[in-house]
Amino acid sequence: MASSAVSSQRAGIACIENPIASGDVVSSYTTWVVIPAYNEDGSLREVVSPLAASRYRVVVVDDGSQFPVQRLLKGLNVSICRHVVNLGQGAALQTGIRYALSQGARYIVTFDADGQHDPEDIPKLLDRLVHGGCDVALGSRFLAGGAAVDIPLLRKIVLHVALFIFRMTSGLKLTDVHNGLRAFSAEAASKLRITQNGMAHASQILSQIERNRFRYGEVPVRIVYTDYSLAKGQRVSNAFNILWEILTGGIWR
Amino acid sequence: MTLIQIILLSLFAFLALYLIYFRSRLRDRLIAVLFFLIAVAAVLFPDATTVIAQSVGVGRGTDLLVYLSIVAGIFAVLLLYGKISRCERLQTELVRELALRDASIPPRE
Repeated sequence: MASSAVSSQRAGIACIENPIASGDVVSSYTTWVVIPAYNEDGSLREVVSPLAASRYRVVVVDDGSQFPVQRLLKGLNVSICRHVVNLGQGAALQTGIRYALSQGARYIVTFDADGQHDPEDIPKLLDRLVHGGCDVALGSRFLAGGAAVDIPLLRKIVLHVALFIFRMTSGLKLTDVHNGLRAFSAEAASKLRITQNGMAHASQILSQIERNRFRYGEVPVRIVYTDYSLAKGQRVSNAFNILWEILTGGIWR
Repeated sequence: MTLIQIILLSLFAFLALYLIYFRSRLRDRLIAVLFFLIAVAAVLFPDATTVIAQSVGVGRGTDLLVYLSIVAGIFAVLLLYGKISRCERLQTELVRELALRDASIPPRE
């Protein structure tokens, strides 16, 4: 890991001058992090700042937020795509992926704007793509080494029920079927067609992984359920909604 | 199995297959016209509905019309649902196109 860090530093400097000439496979200039965001003014800048300052390129997809995202992210090294009306997280992801691909992304990471995801997990996902022979790396909070910090009990139950049902209807071997932290190779991302604008996109992505026969792998990641992320529209009924979306999302196979 | 059961089940199967495989704007309209003609005929010849109803195992003409109306209603709802889905997809494409065109790039260091 140390040697690759050094070589990526050297490659990183070369990248800024000449992106094509980079010798490091995980070129710092061509990994894009897609962050869909809808009314996340409480957490957006804190989440985006470290990523914007990192070696990854960042695109924030403003899904019709009711405040000026561009002003909130002023000065940060991010691209912003804005949906003029709110379409849903699935649509925002697809827009972000389209944008990243148009900018020459080699790898694409999906990352939530509410502060539940940990940027330190991104290199682990990418490593799975680069050295693990996968087209898709999926984050899992239930894998050994992963964590679901302060997860509400009801949420945990719902996720496990969803997992159980998913296992019966799908051939994928997974431990977490509703995790927004994922990484794709550009080839895999370009084959995605996310038509489910709402939360059912998560199931749709999984079924497309199965249908396209992408080589997939799960990586333990850390999900932190902060008061902010829970308070923001997360009521008891939301657990039901997640389950509903996951179940009915299975229709779109 | 009474005749009406066979008829209704066949209608459901036909509609399901139609919606999945054989849709076309012309055929949709033909089906709509067909339902319309049946409705008009039922109003003009109410006694005929009773005769037809009894020949397929339904007590009253009115009951037969109710069954057919349910089938027509389901068909209409499914067509509308399809139309709404198509509208949403178009809307998504438009909003996405705007988002991609007006994407803001990061400020120069």
